[in-house]
Amino acid sequence: MRYGFILFILFSLTSCTNTNTAPEKTWQGKGFTYYPAGILKPASSGQGRRGDNYIYAPGIRFPLESAPAYINSQVYGIGGQFGPRGSLCDQKNYQYPWRDNYCEKRGWNMPLCSGGKGHQGVDIRSSSCHRNRYYAVAVEDGIITYIGSYTVKLRGVSGRTYRYLHLNSRSIQVKRGQRVRRGQRLGLVSDNMGKTKTSIHLHFDMKQTIRVGNRSKSVYVPPYASLVDAYKRLLDGRP
Amino acid sequence: MKLFIISLFLVTSLVGQSGILDIQWPKPNPKQQKPSTPYPSVLINGIKDTHLPVYIPNNYAYDEKMIVVADKNFYTISFLLNEATVMISGDKTFQETLSKDAPEFQKLMKPSPIEFIQEEGIMSTDFNRHGVNYSLSVECENTNKDSRCKKENFLHNLYNRLIMVGGQP
Repeated sequence: MRYGFILFILFSLTSCTNTNTAPEKTWQGKGFTYYPAGILKPASSGQGRRGDNYIYAPGIRFPLESAPAYINSQVYGIGGQFGPRGSLCDQKNYQYPWRDNYCEKRGWNMPLCSGGKGHQGVDIRSSSCHRNRYYAVAVEDGIITYIGSYTVKLRGVSGRTYRYLHLNSRSIQVKRGQRVRRGQRLGLVSDNMGKTKTSIHLHFDMKQTIRVGNRSKSVYVPPYASLVDAYKRLLDGRP
Repeated sequence: MKLFIISLFLVTSLVGQSGILDIQWPKPNPKQQKPSTPYPSVLINGIKDTHLPVYIPNNYAYDEKMIVVADKNFYTISFLLNEATVMISGDKTFQETLSKDAPEFQKLMKPSPIEFIQEEGIMSTDFNRHGVNYSLSVECENTNKDSRCKKENFLHNLYNRLIMVGGQP
């Protein structure tokens, strides 16, 4: 009990400390650089889960078929609702390093984000600012459980549920109830949000059930570290 | 150093053990599970091998166009409405186990009132019954204008109308 309390205090203190100066990491592959999990830009965009490098979905395939791809904020990036003025297609939005945006402030509660608000998943830009050119693919073997106006849900054999948002509805390559293989094409990355358009990107999130004692809860878990790991394998030619 | 401590804390808290949750089965309700008018075959056949309580909103129970995706451990049922899709799913698996002294996740497990949230234009709620985790949502074609996705009333009403239509121990 005492041990848990000490850890809780340590965690609280470190969560509230500004560590936005954490250095970016480099990886010896295709020039890929990324900031560690939980380092958001700008710092005012939310309180990330700094230091949570736990890979919640080990071994998944990267959800876009091809590299390069860029994880960064749609909302706080150039041309975004709260970002610097400019075009959503600005080249600076299509550059490394990656930035986590799982805990970026949005209107809904996210218990795993220290600020209490979060984004549920991350936004991923494809290689270039073109809609309907780049495929999203299944991150693991599984079954398509749901297709909505702009959502495709995959339940992996692991039991995790992955959500792919904003694919072009007309490009969807799968049907509800269809079993899919890891790497199988699902649809093209687009700006589809029904009759409302969004920027060209893939919103990707992962939901899984966590058990504590005899209780359990289904939550959106941080995908960033899993995606960094998956992306390195993609760049390395072993997706 | 700080990052190291947090990482160490989280990694030691998460066990990564997966499995099947224990279900506290409800008392059977013959009216719901064997109604006077049989449920559509798409529902009956779709969940015949599902080993968890299957809930759906009673106002869609006879929708023959419902789409059922299920196996023994989970089900997802979609109802295609005019410019909207309602989805309910239940799942009795878990993917991660945490030690009881993980304070952050202890907080997560505290019982809380049902909450309806709108995210990415989709109105949804998650809840736990009988030890099973369920999700109910509505996704609209017109996210900015459709009140079914902008206000919680529509989904709250569906939540209040949930009935158990099948599933077996």
